[in-house]
Amino acid sequence: MSAVVLGYVPNALGDAAAKAAVDEAHRRGASLVVVNTTRADRLVDPAYADDDDMSRLQETLQGTGVDFTVHHGTSRDTAAEDVLDAAERNSAELIVIGLRHRTPVGKLIMGSTAQSILLGARCNVLAVKA
Amino acid sequence: MDNFLALLEGFSVAMQPMYLLYALGGVLVGTAVGVLPGIGPAMTVALLMPITYSLDPTAAIIVFAGIYYGGMYGGSTTSILLNTPGESASIVTALEGNKMAKAGRGAAALATAAIGSFIAGTVATVLLSFVAPFVAEFAVQIGPTEYVALMIVAFLTVGALLGASVLRGLASLALGLFIALIGVDALTAQQRYTFGNPFLADGIDVVLVAVALFAVGEALYVASRLRHGPVKVIPVAGRWTSWMRKEDWKRSWKPWLRGTFIGFPVGTIPAGGADVATFLSYASERKLAKGERKKQFGKGAIEGVAGPESANNAAAAGVLVPLLTLGIPTTATAAMMLVAFQRYNIQPGPLLFEVEGALVWALIASLYVGNLMLLVLNLPLVGIWVKILQIPRPYLYSGILVFAAMGAFSVNFTPVDVFVLLVVGVLGFFMRRYGYPIAPMVVGLILGPIFEDQLRRSLAISQGDPVALVSTPIAATIYVILIVIFVLSFWLKKRQQAMESEVVEEAPLAVADRKEG
Amino acid sequence: MSSSINGAPGGSGTAAPARPLGEMIFAGMIVCIGVVGFVAGAGIPIPPSAGVVGPRVFPFLVSGIMVAIGIGLLIQLLRGHTGAAEEGEDIDPSVKTDWLTVGKLVGFLAIHIALIVPLGWPVAAAVLFFGSAWSLGAKPWWRNAIIAVVLALILQFVFAGLLGVSLPPGFLLEGVEIFNG
Repeated sequence: MSAVVLGYVPNALGDAAAKAAVDEAHRRGASLVVVNTTRADRLVDPAYADDDDMSRLQETLQGTGVDFTVHHGTSRDTAAEDVLDAAERNSAELIVIGLRHRTPVGKLIMGSTAQSILLGARCNVLAVKA
Repeated sequence: MDNFLALLEGFSVAMQPMYLLYALGGVLVGTAVGVLPGIGPAMTVALLMPITYSLDPTAAIIVFAGIYYGGMYGGSTTSILLNTPGESASIVTALEGNKMAKAGRGAAALATAAIGSFIAGTVATVLLSFVAPFVAEFAVQIGPTEYVALMIVAFLTVGALLGASVLRGLASLALGLFIALIGVDALTAQQRYTFGNPFLADGIDVVLVAVALFAVGEALYVASRLRHGPVKVIPVAGRWTSWMRKEDWKRSWKPWLRGTFIGFPVGTIPAGGADVATFLSYASERKLAKGERKKQFGKGAIEGVAGPESANNAAAAGVLVPLLTLGIPTTATAAMMLVAFQRYNIQPGPLLFEVEGALVWALIASLYVGNLMLLVLNLPLVGIWVKILQIPRPYLYSGILVFAAMGAFSVNFTPVDVFVLLVVGVLGFFMRRYGYPIAPMVVGLILGPIFEDQLRRSLAISQGDPVALVSTPIAATIYVILIVIFVLSFWLKKRQQAMESEVVEEAPLAVADRKEG
Repeated sequence: MSSSINGAPGGSGTAAPARPLGEMIFAGMIVCIGVVGFVAGAGIPIPPSAGVVGPRVFPFLVSGIMVAIGIGLLIQLLRGHTGAAEEGEDIDPSVKTDWLTVGKLVGFLAIHIALIVPLGWPVAAAVLFFGSAWSLGAKPWWRNAIIAVVLALILQFVFAGLLGVSLPPGFLLEGVEIFNG
């Protein structure tokens, strides 16, 4: 069975990406792998979903009837590496991420998880705009 | 009336656009470091000491005062929204404030903390304006014997009362006194503990030691046990349109005023700084609350945020009284501000108001201004302050190290000083590891030379008879007060422990959360 | 359902072991400093001009206090009263001491010291930041490098260029006016 990997972020953009990922999984008859990890190297990581966020997401996903697994927790690697890693391990045919608008300067300073995924992926990447 | 005119004069200086900018910069940096974990106002003032090379004294002191006040505001933000008190004086705020935030009342908690801080800061600054000159007038008359007594009070309260272990606090103090001895004796020009080394003959710079202990020691210690736990996400507070309800105002204004009048005197006497003041305020609010409100304590009572936050800021102003009038710092940040004065060859003490009147009154005026800025800045910008918590720790501590290295190098522009920084930093690491407080060492280092000078003078007057040190009426009174402070503080510590265990019983979560933070 | 991946270093690490040995050494060091203080203090020459209280009195007093407190601490430790390590927001008291990271940071500070004179302050500072960030586990490396260089240049510009603190710019930036005080 093929797989679709979702790089999840707990906000509107992430939910939009989740919706798109579910649609893609349905269409392809694939299973869904949800990835949300943090390096826990800062006090506040807004991209990291807490347990409440995750159970809400799981409830939504259960309603869709898609077969899914969740990778959630702290990790030594960056979020981008974890998403790519999950895609590799599950031989995913598609990675779905949310992509928000960023100024060039902001991207230079902060780096970009999305960019690393786009450049590093071996399969197609669907970048969802909220 | 004279003082009032002098204060107006001070305002005319502090309101100059350039100085307003410096004050703004100071309060912004101060709030940021108050919010950030791992950096406190004392470390920041130490790290920014290089600015004393190029700014005029008024500008530098205004910046440091802004950092000092701003740090107090910033600490409350994290303790309410994240339950991680940015500094020890905010621990009590975390008890009630975080509960309020969890119940969706975070905006009200932030508002009562900020407004309370503003009111307390302003009232306490007014008190400072009138009390300080009075104390200074009195202090001009006291001689070396009384000075020795006052400094012993400062040593023992900072060394023995502030930390958890009396012996470790005193050991830290003694280490500071020892390092201060290295160099040339001011009275006889003899080299002491230099071991023939020309670098040691100049003495070890206070800033170097302070930066090493505060910044390098902290960075190494954090690196040794870097937290990799799951991240706590902020319970985001609501819109600012409904900061405080009518009832919140009603319940807050009395705690604000009570906190102010508890905090200021506690800050003035060297009896433990702002932590004691916040605890006293919390305890009294809890005692005064009736009926339903009493039950709210431990579950998010607004009085438990309003009172301690006010006490905290009032104490911060109180600490400036002994600093400016006697030259005695009672907290780590005050000690660093004393160093800043010394950089300009200004010695805070009884004569400060006469000799450097313009500077002091500009400083006091800038405190009023800074307070107002902090109120205006803090509420709308709370989102930005929370954003800086997203800085990854590796960058934060690497940045601290780079700043520390720069501060050390710029002391004499020689890499040898950076090496001393490293050595003392490693010492600071082990001190933290084994539970030795840092502040007493810095206070000992700064006051040590002054203390020795006054001690030798008073013994010279008495022909070497040590009894003379306790025989003047004022000195004797000071020693009696010292004993009273000690008895009181041990009683307070007992009370604090009792209350903490009580809170544990009533609301086990509150303290469990706090330990996590 | 929530699974940690890649062996996440969670908060459930082994508790730090009792460490009286290190503490004993530290307390012993305090006693030693006190003793050295006495010995070296006795060597301070007293000029005839010195009054009743010469330059030796205060050193003796401080040394005496150090010896007394150090011995007191040793006795406390022998009785099992160890010190409570300082708490902090970024401190995880439950994990073992990471000596490797501490060693790396000390090492990079040493490299920084060695580089200031030959290569100039900005280069030395950038190396210090990059090395520290790497030691503390920041990723990815190229972002660490960018921040290190940018921070070093900003500090050089603000403190040397604007505030006139004489940080040596090094041969790379020698001719660039904005980096020189």
